[in-house]
Amino acid sequence: MADILVYIEHDESGISDLSLQALALSRQLGGGEALLLGRGLAPLAETLLKHGAAAVLAVEQSALAEHVALPAAHALAAVIRSRSPRLVLVPSSTVGNDLAPLAAGLLEAACVVDCDGVEGEAGAWRFLRTEFDARVRAVYEPVGVGPVLVTVKDGIAEAGAVASTGRVEALTVELPAQALRGSVERREVVKKTVNLKDARVIIGGGAGVGSRENFALLEGLAEKLGGELGATRASVDAGWVSAERQIGQTGVTVRPDLYIACGISGAVQHLVGIRDAKTVVAINSDASAPIFRVSHYRIVGDLTTVVPKLMELLG
Amino acid sequence: MAKHIIVVAREVWDTRDIIGDPLTGEGALRALPRRFEPEDLNSLEQALQLKDKDGCKVTVVSLAPAGDLDVLRECLYRGADEAVRVVAPEGSTDSATAAALLAAAIRRLGEHDLVLLGVGVPEGENSLLAGELAGRLGHGQITYVDSITELSDTRVVCRREIEMGSEFVAAPLPAVLALGVYLLKDDPRTPRAAKAMLKLKLKKAPIPEWTASELGVCDATRVRVAALRALPTRQVETRDVDPGSEAALKAMLQDIR
Repeated sequence: MADILVYIEHDESGISDLSLQALALSRQLGGGEALLLGRGLAPLAETLLKHGAAAVLAVEQSALAEHVALPAAHALAAVIRSRSPRLVLVPSSTVGNDLAPLAAGLLEAACVVDCDGVEGEAGAWRFLRTEFDARVRAVYEPVGVGPVLVTVKDGIAEAGAVASTGRVEALTVELPAQALRGSVERREVVKKTVNLKDARVIIGGGAGVGSRENFALLEGLAEKLGGELGATRASVDAGWVSAERQIGQTGVTVRPDLYIACGISGAVQHLVGIRDAKTVVAINSDASAPIFRVSHYRIVGDLTTVVPKLMELLG
Repeated sequence: MAKHIIVVAREVWDTRDIIGDPLTGEGALRALPRRFEPEDLNSLEQALQLKDKDGCKVTVVSLAPAGDLDVLRECLYRGADEAVRVVAPEGSTDSATAAALLAAAIRRLGEHDLVLLGVGVPEGENSLLAGELAGRLGHGQITYVDSITELSDTRVVCRREIEMGSEFVAAPLPAVLALGVYLLKDDPRTPRAAKAMLKLKLKKAPIPEWTASELGVCDATRVRVAALRALPTRQVETRDVDPGSEAALKAMLQDIR
């Protein structure tokens, strides 16, 4: 029996890359079993064995056919109870950060979310998390016995193929009636058309952009520079841009050569997402906006005049 | 139709703009201003809107030492019916302890349909507390809730934002909902202001305080912060560019392309 259990997130397009990263981390820490919930899991289990899973636990039940947090958390908790792993790794995604705390609550177990590092000897692991605008690395240490559920951030380890002699084990779990009453009524899936992670140039818009029309202006600048449009959580929640463009703590982390921040005040939650941008240009009418402290070029002005001017100069 | 809604309100550090070294310098955590967790405030507004519509009771519970900013009294001024303070233990509290204490307090508050709180906490936009709370209470759970689209006597349906779009999720009642909407000033869901009349009336209203031992919670800690390590701060040399000067803008464009 392995000390580590890795929760594998998957959808129609297969296993998420972050799940494979979590599996790679489990290998570095001594090897882990991968847990699959759903239907038609055989091909996915094969993939996991090719990525070095010590074993694959497959729970094929119709109640788990589609991911729903409530039954999935009960299933995860049941597997943790029966296998008694000391560490449970879960991808830090909307799904994972939803699931791990709920399962931890069911088990009254320890939970740490958004970890970007693990240190210490087997069984005495400590979990690292970058906090406060990347100025502090907090070290979390579980207290007492019992499992620790940890969600891990993108970049935690490099996913890679490694042969394993492990086997696939079919499991069934008992789900309480209450758990089965959770369901997804309907999904409105937006086809992914944006690739912010690999974009060299990103024009980011924040609350200061003020309207959907002004966002069109930024889109124009992005087109001229061959870049992508990005956004803060505020402007996504305002409905000016789609959620797939969100950069920051929730949303993606980007590494462009050039980031032009328009109407972005510079809240910590956004800044962590653009930390690795090589050059930052900020346009903001508020001279005291915190974004200017991380900007290489500071333009204090109204973006509705500055952006068209820049476009004109770009020809 | 909901009859009793419980809102979890938190007073948090205002980390929107950290100046100085959060470990030692003048911007030390203790020196950061505190504020009403904005998403919890949105949760209160959501509860009050349901109260306006259905006439349900709204109770607010907070885990906090008495501070300068009294979030519970603020909730009463905005229209909550009752407020209870769970006295926070000395020192820092991990999420498991917070969930254990709040779960015990919520059980003590009696029958309820919904428990509402925000997704955001100062150090992350995740629903750690909501999940741990729902698990311990054995309730349904929906996180990153954008809006409640259906609420009956037995179930709630919410729209939530996910990486690939949005989904409508149903959960049985009682349920814990973590609301994750960052509201701008002109949004119709913006929290209402405190009412002057209620302020006058409730300024001295007693707020019950429940301690861990009263709630029967002991030794609930699961995780502790073993260390905080300072990371080197970013040093950025900032150049001012005059937006009125075409030459300055041109020079900048040449540099950055």
